[in-house]
Amino acid sequence: MPPLARVLALVLVALPLTTAFPPPAPAAEDVKIALVAPLSGRWARQGQLKKMGAEMAIEEINSQGGIKALGGAKIVLREADAGDSVEKAVSAAQRVLTREKISAGIGSWLSSFTLGVTEVAERLQVPWLSLSYADSITERGFKYTFQTSPVSSLQAEQALELVSELAKKNNRPIKKAAIVGDNTAASMFFYKPLREKLLAAKGIELVVDDVWTPPLADATSIVQKLRSAQADIVFYGATNFPDSIQVLQKVKEFSVKSPIQGVGAWLVTPEYVKTVGKETLDNIQTVVAAHPMKGQEALVKKFVQRTGEPFMTQDPLCTYAHVWLIKEAIEQAKSADPKAIRDALAKIDLTSGPAATSLYPNRIKFDERGRRVGATPLIVQWQGGEPFTVVPTEVATRPITWHK
Amino acid sequence: MSIGLALIFGVMRVVNFAQGDFMMLGMYLTYFYAVAGAVDPLLGALLTLPPFFALGWLVHRGVLARVTGGGDPGRQHDAQLIVTLGLSLVITNATTMILTPTPRGIPTAYATQAFVVGPVLLNQARSYAFAMALVLAAAVYVFLTRTDVGKALRAAADDPEAAAYQGIDVRAMHGLAFGAGIALVAAAGGLLATYYPIEPTVAGNFIVLMFVAVVLGGLGSIPGAFVGGLVIGLVQSLTLLILPFQLQNTGVFIAFLLVLYLRPQGLFGRRLRTV
Repeated sequence: MPPLARVLALVLVALPLTTAFPPPAPAAEDVKIALVAPLSGRWARQGQLKKMGAEMAIEEINSQGGIKALGGAKIVLREADAGDSVEKAVSAAQRVLTREKISAGIGSWLSSFTLGVTEVAERLQVPWLSLSYADSITERGFKYTFQTSPVSSLQAEQALELVSELAKKNNRPIKKAAIVGDNTAASMFFYKPLREKLLAAKGIELVVDDVWTPPLADATSIVQKLRSAQADIVFYGATNFPDSIQVLQKVKEFSVKSPIQGVGAWLVTPEYVKTVGKETLDNIQTVVAAHPMKGQEALVKKFVQRTGEPFMTQDPLCTYAHVWLIKEAIEQAKSADPKAIRDALAKIDLTSGPAATSLYPNRIKFDERGRRVGATPLIVQWQGGEPFTVVPTEVATRPITWHK
Repeated sequence: MSIGLALIFGVMRVVNFAQGDFMMLGMYLTYFYAVAGAVDPLLGALLTLPPFFALGWLVHRGVLARVTGGGDPGRQHDAQLIVTLGLSLVITNATTMILTPTPRGIPTAYATQAFVVGPVLLNQARSYAFAMALVLAAAVYVFLTRTDVGKALRAAADDPEAAAYQGIDVRAMHGLAFGAGIALVAAAGGLLATYYPIEPTVAGNFIVLMFVAVVLGGLGSIPGAFVGGLVIGLVQSLTLLILPFQLQNTGVFIAFLLVLYLRPQGLFGRRLRTV
């Protein structure tokens, strides 16, 4: 083999090895938390945001003296790359959970990934916190899975309730609706109840129903359909950024006037402003599991200063809350043992502290399935290039506006 | 995009898996031109040609030339597949590390405006990109058929041994073809950046279709790659008239299989491998 090819081959072989060796071993009493999130591939941005939230919480906890019940033990993060497929996510979880003793885990953003990763966590008996929306995550009788977000079907119900009320108030009642988006798990669970019962129950006709497997080749035909159908509301679930940008650019190009109601926090990331402009985004709203609320201004300010991001969204906020929640559970369990932490999580009832105040309503208690009791989605709306919580009104940071 | 790939395969018989990643790099360069120098991406796309030609030439010299040309032809194929695939992984992950996975976009007015032609709306960004692609394709065609260097390139492609006897430096021709192929795909990336967001993994959305276009048109045929690209676009749009949206690319692959079945050498291809 020529020398250069040999070097290249060595580099190619060595590259994966560099990630296989864990960073320097921490002091014995440290508590290790796993974060399995997409850090490469098309959802890497979301994983990056999640990591920011986790790191911020860990820094706060450690600088405030660590876990008191364990004599001031520090928390360390073990991140694993879920990549861009369920198989990669599952193998990442397997790797991180079997390599060393992990007390609890967080992840993996996309519901499809979470479904796979939580199976690994269940088998290895490690408590797992997730912000994913899909109903099925907590419908499998798992003991170690805890879902802090309201499930997709509930989000659909509440989003529909809200938009039909708003539309009525603005004298433009909803008669025709459209469903447009990809077929990832959270989106599918959102569309399903709309298609099967919710829309019919309100006498709303479904005029466009176009779902694709990401990546989307071209948005032209979808948006053409939207234009000719003139729906009174578009339920929108394009979780993959390039797909969503193509759709929104076409919406602007074809001047589609239908209000857009998204599902998920992917629709309120900062890069939207730079790519499609704030005018196109104005009034677009989305239903999310968490977003900074009234009273969290200090937290947001700290996050913005730390990371250089223009604002804080669901992904860092939820992961921030999850790390704090694990800390509380360890305090109550007085142990870093995964089973003890699971039992503490199953019994926990928090109404104050950084974890509880980051989620709406400000209470963390799980039912026997692992769903957060009373979890209610928030509606976030783009206004002047920034997304604000607009519903429920008692925690809103801006009043909601409706399309003219 | 496909033309660059066809050029590289046609001349060098190299299946370049990293083609999409060079396209992604072209998108980033166009983005940085636009951000740092306020260069319109349509012009920026053209400005990616020289640096990427040089980059392609260097990559060929430093990496690919060592696994192609001379020696056992069977082994060469394995080696170059692995090298280009490895290049692709290294480029994607290095870009993710250095430029972060945050998607970027070049906000252009024409990305969200359309030409109104009777009842038809034509997106301006895509129309400009198409026009530029036509010009580039024509330029490549003229270069290959009308200039001495182009003829030498084709000679090196047809029969490297005979070409060498005619005094053509086959290795230099391969470098030229790889450089030109990379430059073309980078420029295509620049054009794409006028309406498509840029992120390190963007190549994955295009590479399969790129290969389909090349094979559809006939491996190694420049006009074939161009027509192949057009056919894919048409089939994608027409598929929607009869199939649900989720099956958009199914139509493309059905057409692809049909072409392979009825005309295995592709629409414009010549029989490449005879026993």
